[in-house]
Amino acid sequence: MFSRILIANRGEIALRIIRACKELGVETVAVFSEVDRNASYLHLADERICIGAAPSAESYLNIPRIIAAAEIADVEAIHPGYGFLAENAHFAEICRDCKIEFVGPSVESMRALGDKIQAKELAKAANVPVVPGSDGLVETEEDAVRVANEIGYPVAVKAAAGGGGRGIRFAHNEVTLRSNFNQAQSEAEIAFKDGRLYMEKCIQNFRHIEVQILGDRTGNVVHLYERECSVQRRQQKVIEETPAPELPAELRDAICDAAVRLAREVGYHNAGTVEFMLDADGNFYFLEVNTRIQVEHCITEMATDVDLVKWQLHVASGRKLAMTQDDIHHSGASIECRINAEDPDNDFRPCPGRVEALVLPGGPGIRWDSHIHQGYVIPPTYDSMIGKLIAYGPTRSEAIATALRALDEFVIGPTKTTAALCRRVLAHRRFARGQWDTGFIEREMLGK
Amino acid sequence: MAEQAAKKPTGTSSPQQPEAADAADTSATIGEVRQLVQLMIDNDLHEVEVREGEKRIHLKRGGKLQAPAVPLEPVPAGESAQPGAPEDRYTPAQQAGPGAETGLIDITSPMVGTFYTTASPDADAFVAVGDAVGTDDVICIIEAMKVMNEIRAECAGVIIEICVKNAQPVEYGQTLFKVKTA
Repeated sequence: MFSRILIANRGEIALRIIRACKELGVETVAVFSEVDRNASYLHLADERICIGAAPSAESYLNIPRIIAAAEIADVEAIHPGYGFLAENAHFAEICRDCKIEFVGPSVESMRALGDKIQAKELAKAANVPVVPGSDGLVETEEDAVRVANEIGYPVAVKAAAGGGGRGIRFAHNEVTLRSNFNQAQSEAEIAFKDGRLYMEKCIQNFRHIEVQILGDRTGNVVHLYERECSVQRRQQKVIEETPAPELPAELRDAICDAAVRLAREVGYHNAGTVEFMLDADGNFYFLEVNTRIQVEHCITEMATDVDLVKWQLHVASGRKLAMTQDDIHHSGASIECRINAEDPDNDFRPCPGRVEALVLPGGPGIRWDSHIHQGYVIPPTYDSMIGKLIAYGPTRSEAIATALRALDEFVIGPTKTTAALCRRVLAHRRFARGQWDTGFIEREMLGK
Repeated sequence: MAEQAAKKPTGTSSPQQPEAADAADTSATIGEVRQLVQLMIDNDLHEVEVREGEKRIHLKRGGKLQAPAVPLEPVPAGESAQPGAPEDRYTPAQQAGPGAETGLIDITSPMVGTFYTTASPDADAFVAVGDAVGTDDVICIIEAMKVMNEIRAECAGVIIEICVKNAQPVEYGQTLFKVKTA
């Protein structure tokens, strides 16, 4: 195991990694930007290094400064968390060139899976179902129209360098396809420095099912079952749960086995998530692989009793997985509510600023993963998620009841958050019945 | 790792909109500077200092016009470090406490790395306490990822304190030198 690592992240995931390290006896070095200087979780790290001003480009995304900090702090590894540089293959490569271990998969896996077109090819090679589409790049408007006529409208135009719901445009007919195509190219060029596009048949109102995988460097790969993340707003997850409700056992096994096949095909090690779309007819299609630990990893930890962040550190330091697939058991149900500092009544406008009042939920079956505290000043510079409320119960309805009463205990002010929205979703009769898809929030809650 | 004293956060809950206000303030201040320069020429003055709230303009005549050593935008008192705040390397000594001398500024590190007082192990130190420094003078080296970066004073004055030791790791924003500019 490493004796000292650097955490190239901030907020709740930085705290999550510090916690795992403390329990493993690993010293931690936390980097921070000037605007995060007063965050109390920094004092739980063994060392803190200021790496720059607030803008991410000058701090959490600044590779030279992070590497410089790693060198002066003499760490053996860097844990990138999620977001920021977590899926940046170039960063992973620089770490390893500087003889610093990157807690994540190999550079080659990250490159291959980060390119959405290549990822699809790998999925096909692993016999994983993929969405019918362009089978490669679509370079011109005429090509796009031809592909659309083959696969049928509506279609999705996607950036090869995109991911996480970004860089996607939809077209319902030739007119909108033509007008969207060139815009999609320029947007991708600006956002990802890569204007390459591909197309897929648009699967509407699908369920988003993802599988947690974990591999070691000797080629062992296990899955830790699935998560359902269908309750989303503008392609961003709001509520996640495990197990995916109303999923027949054979379908669950098929999806999870497909994820493991793909991971083996790529030689994947460390933690990752394979995402799928499940349509109303029970067909599942590969969406993408996230080559990092995810926000919602906590619900899998609750249901399987496996500490994923600790295992990331074990695998990165060379240890073999101690469990086979048969050793992984999923029991009970777990739900996560993402609490964002946003005002749902004002188009989800971000609400940075000082947290004056804070009362946290507790009691049986509740886990609160967050870096905020009373007096904490939420900076406007970063992601608006300020905490994750995780509920666990022996059954789904008990987990929902636990989450509801915990949300009622939760007090925060004057900061506006999405906690009340989460409560409305969980209390909704359709949620209780497991009748929803990615269009749920827009349709049912926002009346669109 | 030396840490700067934590500032008490008092942040605001409204979203930041600094750009328009800053532009107006900067152009107003440049206008004022022009007027002051003309005033000095007309009256054969050598040095002028004007203060207005948090804003301070200090002009010295005789040779080149000196750039003000404090940000032109007024920094509101009591707010925690804002993302829109100027990326200025200097923090006026007013923040050091009520007993601070005027004309004292901190030169802070613009990067993370290892601080060196000399160009090489056998060379003399770039500066010593009591030395006068000018804007372009190299005052130290910060090494990061095997690259030796020369750090310049970017102000004029006298070194009154060297705050870090040779070969000490430094973080972004860490105070390296205290310089008296008046």
